[in-house]
Amino acid sequence: MAKALRAKFQPPLVITLLILGLFVFLPMMSAFEYSIRTPLTGGYGWTHYIWAVTEDDFFHYILRSMWLAGVTVLITLFVLVPTLTWLHLSNSKVRGLIDGLSLLPLVIPVVAFAVGAQISFPEFVQNTVLELPFLYFVLALPYAYRSLDIGLNSIPLKTITEAARSAGANWWRTITAVIVPVIRGSVMATIALTFALSLGEYTLTVLLHWDTFPTWVTNVAQDNILGAIAISMMSLIIPFLILTVITLFVPERSTQGRK
Amino acid sequence: MRAKRLVAAATAAVLAAGIVAIATPATAAVNICQAKNVKEAGGLDNLIKLAKKEGKLALITTPRDWANYGAAFDAYEKAFGVKITVDNPDGSSQYEIDTMKTAPKSKQPDSIDIGPLVVAQLTPPGSKPLSSPYQVINWNDIPNAAKDSTGLWYGNYGGKLAIVYNTTLPSVPTKAADFTKPEYKGFVGITGDPTSSNQAFMSVLAASIGNGGEKNLSDVTKGLALFKAVKAQAPLVKVNGTNLATGTAKLGFMWDFNALGIIPAAKAAGLDLKFAYPTDYVLQAPPYINAINIKSPNCANARLWQEFVYSQNKGKTAADLTDADLKLSGSKLFALMQGGQNYFQQSGADPIMSAAMTKKKILVPSLLDFKVPSTAKVVGPATIADVLTAREQIISSWASL
Amino acid sequence: MTSQVIEGGAPSRGRAFLTSFIKNILPAVPLLLIVGFFFLFPIARLIYVSFLSNDNTFTIDNFKTAVQEPYRTGFINSIKIGLFSAAIAAFPGALAAYFIDTRGSSKLRRTIAVMSGVLANTGGVPLAFMFYAALGIQGYLTKFLKYLGWDLYSGTFSLGSFIGLLIVYLYFQLPLMVIVFSPAIVSLRREWSEAARNLGANQVNYWIRIGIPLLFPSFIASFLLLFASGFSAYATANALTVGNLPLTPLQIGGLLDGNVSAAQLNLGKALGVVMIVISACAVIPYLAIQRRSAKWQKR
Repeated sequence: MAKALRAKFQPPLVITLLILGLFVFLPMMSAFEYSIRTPLTGGYGWTHYIWAVTEDDFFHYILRSMWLAGVTVLITLFVLVPTLTWLHLSNSKVRGLIDGLSLLPLVIPVVAFAVGAQISFPEFVQNTVLELPFLYFVLALPYAYRSLDIGLNSIPLKTITEAARSAGANWWRTITAVIVPVIRGSVMATIALTFALSLGEYTLTVLLHWDTFPTWVTNVAQDNILGAIAISMMSLIIPFLILTVITLFVPERSTQGRK
Repeated sequence: MRAKRLVAAATAAVLAAGIVAIATPATAAVNICQAKNVKEAGGLDNLIKLAKKEGKLALITTPRDWANYGAAFDAYEKAFGVKITVDNPDGSSQYEIDTMKTAPKSKQPDSIDIGPLVVAQLTPPGSKPLSSPYQVINWNDIPNAAKDSTGLWYGNYGGKLAIVYNTTLPSVPTKAADFTKPEYKGFVGITGDPTSSNQAFMSVLAASIGNGGEKNLSDVTKGLALFKAVKAQAPLVKVNGTNLATGTAKLGFMWDFNALGIIPAAKAAGLDLKFAYPTDYVLQAPPYINAINIKSPNCANARLWQEFVYSQNKGKTAADLTDADLKLSGSKLFALMQGGQNYFQQSGADPIMSAAMTKKKILVPSLLDFKVPSTAKVVGPATIADVLTAREQIISSWASL
Repeated sequence: MTSQVIEGGAPSRGRAFLTSFIKNILPAVPLLLIVGFFFLFPIARLIYVSFLSNDNTFTIDNFKTAVQEPYRTGFINSIKIGLFSAAIAAFPGALAAYFIDTRGSSKLRRTIAVMSGVLANTGGVPLAFMFYAALGIQGYLTKFLKYLGWDLYSGTFSLGSFIGLLIVYLYFQLPLMVIVFSPAIVSLRREWSEAARNLGANQVNYWIRIGIPLLFPSFIASFLLLFASGFSAYATANALTVGNLPLTPLQIGGLLDGNVSAAQLNLGKALGVVMIVISACAVIPYLAIQRRSAKWQKR
């Protein structure tokens, strides 16, 4: 019986993955093929990629955007993980309110949000690039919150917290050394989402007159479309690969601890 | 006795201070953000010195491949060691005005380059103007009709609208009316939104004169009708560098002075583009306009940039400037450099000072390789009043075309 | 004696409030502060300004204009695009989520979760490039299809048309569906399907009586979320069209960039507020459904 079941399991999954893979990777591969075209010399080559990484501004902008994305991820984790842990443990009355609040950014189109930000933030806020990670945090909130919420839902939170606390851990250690490793999958997904969103955020950034990687790519495209496509490719594939590799190599939920 | 000595000492001190004040050169007291001409800025040498110290120039919506701006940027940056940044190169003239009105101080541009479509908004009735008055060294070489008498804005360079097309099209388009040919279906478009982009607006006007509306430049209904007919076949595509290079857009109106920037970019992507003037009516548009932002963060560079852009010299471009040249004093270096007006001339635009420069025989040849056909009649330029009237027509009907 | 007791009563009520506050709200304060300042404040201001006329007096004229042409068409198109893009992504996405979450290994599930997170956030110019490269006039796939005999561009198709946009939107709607629907699948405990089988039900029966009824609300909820996503997408539509396909986010962007007759400076804000109302109509039911489902989804 078990063998028959296992045999039944494979085809639908494989087909699903094939179709999904085709759909996801065809446009990517097409853009990749485009980006290695070298019309001026005929045939294919890495000209555009070489051009991209030797452009003065390439590293400046990609590092800038990655830094902003990193700050956003930090804000997200530092604010959401403790807050959600507390919400789950304490069954506070505000939980419903915060659940709803976390979804609000979905209701507001980014354009409207950008207009609101333009007309409301005081000068000192609009003058610092640090306003961006907080705004990206808000944009990522619905997904990040959900992702961590689901993760916390699926573990025996009360039990492990009580175990950790009674073993003498303070709240900081409990969260970082006990809870986060257990919801590792959720945390990874949250990091991926938040990082990808911040790295690619264009609308809000442009409307607030900031200059980051996505805005730079758009400008570069005016002069060198194939180069811009090459850059886009890199900006898509690199985070993709990094995050996928990390996920594949992060070990399964090991509950054996450090002993 | 002691009182008398005190009074004597005080008087001496006051006199000494007075003598020192008079003897100190005027440059120490220059308020660069209020300087209305190069004299008030303490002379060209002083202006260049202050600009070098500032080290930055913030421009807005001026792409490198527009009217040869790229070469002008390179020369300015190399000569004066100033970093030029451009906010939203793809943006419209309206975006420039809105930024001046709403952006925080750190995001304000120093100098703007806007179309006549929005110039009226620089001087809103009943409030302060958005720009600071400034008159360049060659102020008198700008025709009176093309500038504000107090120096709030001044025309810079103008162009004619040409048809840009992809050579893979089944037939060669020759005039605006060709846009509706069935074999072009799905590839015809416009460079942007004609309610905010000057180039797009002029495209509608060019379409209008090519569709029977050449007598009245304040009425673009014929132009709207043409685009409506095109849209009835297929949605309009956005005609910009990217879309032309990917083959998404194959036909539209564009400034002739953008040909030198667009054609090589498309060639690098494997596509052959050609520019040609319509064979019936060619629109000569009113010039683009420069102004210094009143909220300019780099006042010296804002002014030096104007001096550069309006300088008429035949001279060295960025590549020709040697290290020895760069060590020269400000005004000597300036005299060596090719002037902004000649950069525009090379791109095929008509620099605003072309009449004076032709007289002085310092106008360099244009690098454009296509000319207005003998069969065509050049129409225009439209007045600002024409432009504003036509704009109202477009605002009320473009979105529902 | 009595007076002491009464006096003792008042401060302890205050202390009770304070402890209640600390217990129930304080830990959430950082989150509330950030969301309050960086989000609620701009939105509140947006709503406030949308009711102002050019002279800063109260008016509902902005809203009156917002529901007339051409903005009316904009709303209808945006709603259509939200509904259609959600519809074509919902079912395939749900199926994909089902197979991956029930049949895939834990590693596969986590990889897909991460990839979906990245893919759901593709949009704007990079996404437009990918599709130009694949399905544009010179596109790789277009050429391949032409070779097979199907000329995509013989009709009025273009990536900037309604259908074109739907195809491109699918690229991020599908992963989004996988992300939001997976929790429902994961919570469908295997014990229930085994219990059903033990009671004599076959696969079909299980699905009709248990599986689908349990999943249906979450499915609708996910659909609503996808609607909100497609409805308010801006960067992608902006990269593919040129103001010729009236869509509300684009119109708002256009109003930011093009002064409408200087007659109604705050029209864009009013459009934004109407968009918020429409999105809220999708997200509030989503919340309600999720609350209900949370009961059986929680361990």
